Amino acid sequence: MANDESWLDRFVNKLHKKPKPWFKYFGAYILVPIWARLTPVKRLPGGARPAIQPGDNVQSMMNLIMPLKRENRSPIGRAKAALAIAENRDQIFAGLDNVGTVHFARFVIVNDNICMFSFYDGDFTNYIRDFIATIGGAFNDVVKLVEGGDALIPCEENVEAFIQWIHEHDLYQVPDTPTDFLRDQEDLNGDKAVSPVNDDLTLLPRKLVLQLRANANVSLGSGYRAYPGFSVAQVRKKLELGW
Amino acid sequence: MINLADLQGNILRGYTKKPHVRYLILEVAEPGAARRWLADSVSGRNGVPQITSGDWGKNKPDTCFNIGLTYEGLRALGTPSASLKMFPNEFVEGMTARAVKLGDVGRSAPEKWPAPFNEPKRIHLIATIYAEKVEQLDVDQERALTDVKAFKLLDTREGYNFPGDFVHFGYRDNITQPRFEGVPDSQRYPDRQPKAPLGTVLLGHPTNLEGLMWRVPEPAELGHNGTFNAFRVLKQDVAGFERYLDHAAFYLFVHPKGGELLPHGDEEKIGKGPSRHTALREIVAANLCGRWRDGTPLALSADAPDPNENLTNFDYVGVGDARCPHGAHIRRCNPRGGQIVQRIANNSRRLVRRGVPYGPPYDPANPYDPAKPYDGDEPERGLLGNFIGASLGAQFEAMSCDWLNLGLQDPRITGSNDPISGTNDPGTSWFDLPLKSGGTIRLPGFPEFVSTRGGAYMFLPSLAAIQYLADLR
Amino acid sequence: MVDASVARRLVDEMIFNLPKHDPGQRPVHTIGVGVDAYFTASDVAHKYCIAEHFSGERICAKVRFSNAPGGPEQHDGRSDVRGMATRFLLPSGAATDLIATTLREFFARDVDDFSKFTKLDKHEPYQRESPWRKILDLLWLKVPRRDPYPGEKTNASAGILSYANQHRFAQLAVFEAKMIGAPVSYVRAAYHAIHTFIVEGENGVRRPVRFSWQPVAGVRNTDPDALPDDDYLRQELDHRLKRWPVRFVLMMTIGEAGDAIDDPTRPWPARRVRVIMGTLTLTGVPKDQATAGERISFNPWRLVRGIEPSGDPILRARRDAYEVSRKMRGGTACPFSNWSCADGE
Repeated sequence: MANDESWLDRFVNKLHKKPKPWFKYFGAYILVPIWARLTPVKRLPGGARPAIQPGDNVQSMMNLIMPLKRENRSPIGRAKAALAIAENRDQIFAGLDNVGTVHFARFVIVNDNICMFSFYDGDFTNYIRDFIATIGGAFNDVVKLVEGGDALIPCEENVEAFIQWIHEHDLYQVPDTPTDFLRDQEDLNGDKAVSPVNDDLTLLPRKLVLQLRANANVSLGSGYRAYPGFSVAQVRKKLELGW
Repeated sequence: MINLADLQGNILRGYTKKPHVRYLILEVAEPGAARRWLADSVSGRNGVPQITSGDWGKNKPDTCFNIGLTYEGLRALGTPSASLKMFPNEFVEGMTARAVKLGDVGRSAPEKWPAPFNEPKRIHLIATIYAEKVEQLDVDQERALTDVKAFKLLDTREGYNFPGDFVHFGYRDNITQPRFEGVPDSQRYPDRQPKAPLGTVLLGHPTNLEGLMWRVPEPAELGHNGTFNAFRVLKQDVAGFERYLDHAAFYLFVHPKGGELLPHGDEEKIGKGPSRHTALREIVAANLCGRWRDGTPLALSADAPDPNENLTNFDYVGVGDARCPHGAHIRRCNPRGGQIVQRIANNSRRLVRRGVPYGPPYDPANPYDPAKPYDGDEPERGLLGNFIGASLGAQFEAMSCDWLNLGLQDPRITGSNDPISGTNDPGTSWFDLPLKSGGTIRLPGFPEFVSTRGGAYMFLPSLAAIQYLADLR
Repeated sequence: MVDASVARRLVDEMIFNLPKHDPGQRPVHTIGVGVDAYFTASDVAHKYCIAEHFSGERICAKVRFSNAPGGPEQHDGRSDVRGMATRFLLPSGAATDLIATTLREFFARDVDDFSKFTKLDKHEPYQRESPWRKILDLLWLKVPRRDPYPGEKTNASAGILSYANQHRFAQLAVFEAKMIGAPVSYVRAAYHAIHTFIVEGENGVRRPVRFSWQPVAGVRNTDPDALPDDDYLRQELDHRLKRWPVRFVLMMTIGEAGDAIDDPTRPWPARRVRVIMGTLTLTGVPKDQATAGERISFNPWRLVRGIEPSGDPILRARRDAYEVSRKMRGGTACPFSNWSCADGE
C-alpha cells in the first residue's frame, strides 16, 4: 500500500495475493503434506452435533456423499444411479412421508458421487432407521452401486451398520463461527481448556487447510434457514395441511 | 415358543413378590476367576448364587439373582474382538458417551456422577439380588463376593418397592408392561396394544419395524436371546415437585379458565376433601403424568380418579386423545396407537421397565419447608430404573431424545420436555393442560424434578451366553 | 454490581490506551455521524414485546453511526468495527436506546476480562514486516501481517492478539474483528446488539433475545487491497439520503435454555427462532450534528417497560461506564424520567 516498498516487498506481496502456478503447486503438494505430517489433524466426524436445545434438534442437515464404485464411474454408472432413484420414487416419497420428520430431501449426482441432501427433525439415527424401515429394499438399489455398499445389503438386516456407514459419509459441518472448528478439534483431543492457554491464532489458516485435507468434503456452516426452530409437523399444522 | 429357561428371569418377570433389590457394581479382578464365577452362577455351585432364569418350574426361588455386563466387562472377560465388534455402537460407547442424547446435561452430566459411576470404564458387571427381606440380600451378597479374586465390589445401590407399588412422586407404578408374542403368561397385562414381537426384547427375533433385524453378536450362543438394559440412577426432587404443584394450584385458582378445569363444587370428586387448592394440585399431578396418582388413566377418566376403571385398557384416540395431555409423561414414553409425527414408529419404541425406589419415602405429613428454597436438607431419594429392550438405540435412546425431551411426536408439544422427567429449565419450560372446550391452559416454570446420578448400558446375556463367556480361554 | 469506581477505572484505562484524546469527546467511537430516522414495528412485534416502540405506531428515532476507535483521527477506510446507536423517541415522552456494532460478539465475558484486555490493548509501533519474515509466514502456512496503512505508525494489534492467544473465549471476537473490513457505506453493514435482553410479550411470557439490524441494501465492504480513503462515510450517507431513504430491518433472535444468555463472547446458533420486529427508515443527515448525535449520550441500559437487561456483566458495566464517560465529556445528562439507574438500581 505504501510507496516505500522495495522490489522484494512487492514480489512477496504478490506471491501472497496473486501467487504464480508454481507457488500454488509448491504450497499444495509440498508444504501442506509436510505440515500434515508435522502437525497431524484428525478427521472430524460428520453430521449435526448432538445438542439438547430444541432449536438444534429441528431442521438438521444431512449431506450424504456416496462415491460410486470404480466400475460405475462412467455415464453408464451414473445412469444406473439415476434409474435407481427414478424407479424407487414411490418408495422414497412414501417412506419420507411416513418418517414424518423430513423437511426437504433430494438426490444429486456430483461427478461420480451420488449424494442425498436433506433437512430433518430429531435424532439422526431415528431418521435413518425409520427411513430404512419404510423404504425397505429401495435403498439397496442405490447402495449396491457405491463403494463399500455390498457389505450393507440387505440394509434392513444390517441397520446398525447401515446407520454407521451413513454417518461416516455425512459431511463434517464446519461451524458457523470461524474459530469454532478449533474447538471441535480440541474436543476431539479431549482439550477442554478455556484460559489461560497458549494458542497461536495466526496458525488458524494452516489449521483450516489441514482440516480440509482431513475432511476433503465439508458443509460450510450449518446452513441458512428462513424460519429456523420449527419442525415439519409444526409448519404443516400451522398451515392446516395435516400432519 | 421361546425357551424361558435360556433367558434371565428379570427380562420377562417383575419379581413383584420380592420388594428388596440390591445392585452390586463389580469390576473384574482376575478374568480367569471371574469366568469361573460365571460358570458357578449358571450351575449354582461353589456358593455363588444361581442366575434366575425365566422358567421357575415348580419351585419359586427364595431370592432372584441376575447379571448384566458392560462392554468393558465383556472385554475384561476376554470376549473375542470379532464378537465385540458386532455389538451396537451405543453399547460400545457406553451411557456416558450418549449423555446429550439422554438429556444428561447440567447437573445430570456424567462428570457430576458420584462414585462408582464417575469411572464408567471400571464398571464391568452389575449383579442384582431381589429378595423379600433385607437379610437375604446380605446373605446373597456375601455368597456372590466370596471369591475375592473374581470381582472387586465398587459399590452397591439398594432399593425397596413401597407397598401398593407407589413411587416417590406418589403415583402408583408398575401397572403395565408390553405383552410379547409367544410368551405364555403375557395375558397378565390385558390392554388394547398389539402384542409386541419378541424381537422388541430379545436379540435374534423379528422386531416391530417390519423386516428390520438387529444385529446379533456372534457366535449365536453369545448374542441370541440376549438383550440390553439401560440402568439409571434417577434422583427425584419430591419436595420440589410438591412445591411446584402448590404454585400451579395457586396459578389455576385465579386463572380465568380455571373453572373449566375444575367446575366449582366438583372439588370433592377428586377425592382429597373439599379444598379447591388440594383438588387443583391433584389435577395438575394427574395431567403431568397422564394418570391420577392411584393409576387411573386420564384417557379413560379425565375428570376424577376412578378406582373401578381399567388401568391399562385404553388408547389415545377419540376421547382418550382429547382428555389426556399430549405432553403427559406416560403418553410421551409410549404414545400407543395415538397420532404421532413418526407414523412408522407407533409401537416400535416400547420397553420393559423395571424400577424400584431408593431412599426414604417423602413424608407428606411433614411437607417441605416453604421458607427453604432448595431441598438441600432432604435425603437423596429416587428411582433405580431398568429400561430393557433389544436395541438401546431404537428404543430407549429414541424415546429419550425425540419423545421425552423435544416432543417431536406431536407439533403441539414440540419444543417442550417431559414435565416430570425432562431436562427442564424454569425459564423456558411449559406444559399445556387440555380443557373440555378444546382450549388449553399453559403452565410455565417447570424445574428439573429428576436428575441422573449414575447409570450404565448393560448387556443381559442368555444363560447359554453366560456359559459361553465362562468357557472362554 | 459494578460500582462507580470500577466504571471510572474502565473508562480511564481505555483513555490511557489512546494515542490522542480530547476530553470533550467520546473516548471510543469518537468519529461519527448523526442521522434522523423513524421506526415502524412489524405486525407481530407487539406479540413478543410490549415495549412502546413495538406497538406499530411510527416512532421518531435518532441514529448515530461511528467508527470504533477513540481519538480525533479519522480513518473511514481502515478495517475496523463500526457502531450504530439508535435512540427511539417514544410518544409517551420516554426514550430507549439500542446500541449495536458490526462485531457479532464481544471479547470479554466480564469486567475482569475487560480490564486484562485493556492492559494489553495498547498502541505499539507498527511496521511493515520484512519480506523474509513474510516468506517464512507463507512457508508456515500463515497469512503475513498486513502492511501498515499510509501514515499508520502504531496500532494495538499485537496486544490484542496476545490476549486472544491466552483466552479462547476471546478468539472469535478478535479473529472476526481482524477480518471485518471497511464498509462502503454505514448503511451497507449489519449491526448486532451483542447482549441478551429479556423481552416481555403480550401474554406475559418473557423471552431472552438478541437484536440485530440487517441493512435492506445489503452488506458490502471496500476492496481490502485498494488504498483506503480516510473520509467518505459521512458524505456518502448524506448523498445517499438526499436521493432515497434507507432502511434497516430489526431482527430479534429468541434464545433457548442453555444458550449463552449472560456471555457476550458466545454468539447464539443460527438455528434459533428469528422474528422480524420492524423497519428503521433513515431520512437525512441533519446539519446540526451536535444535536443530532454528538450530544446524545446513548446507554444500553436506557430501557422501557417490556425490555429488561439480562445478567450479562458486560452490559451492566457498560451502563455505568457510559455514564462516567458522559459526565467526563460534559454530554447531555439523561433528560428522560424513565431512566433512573445511573447511580445504581
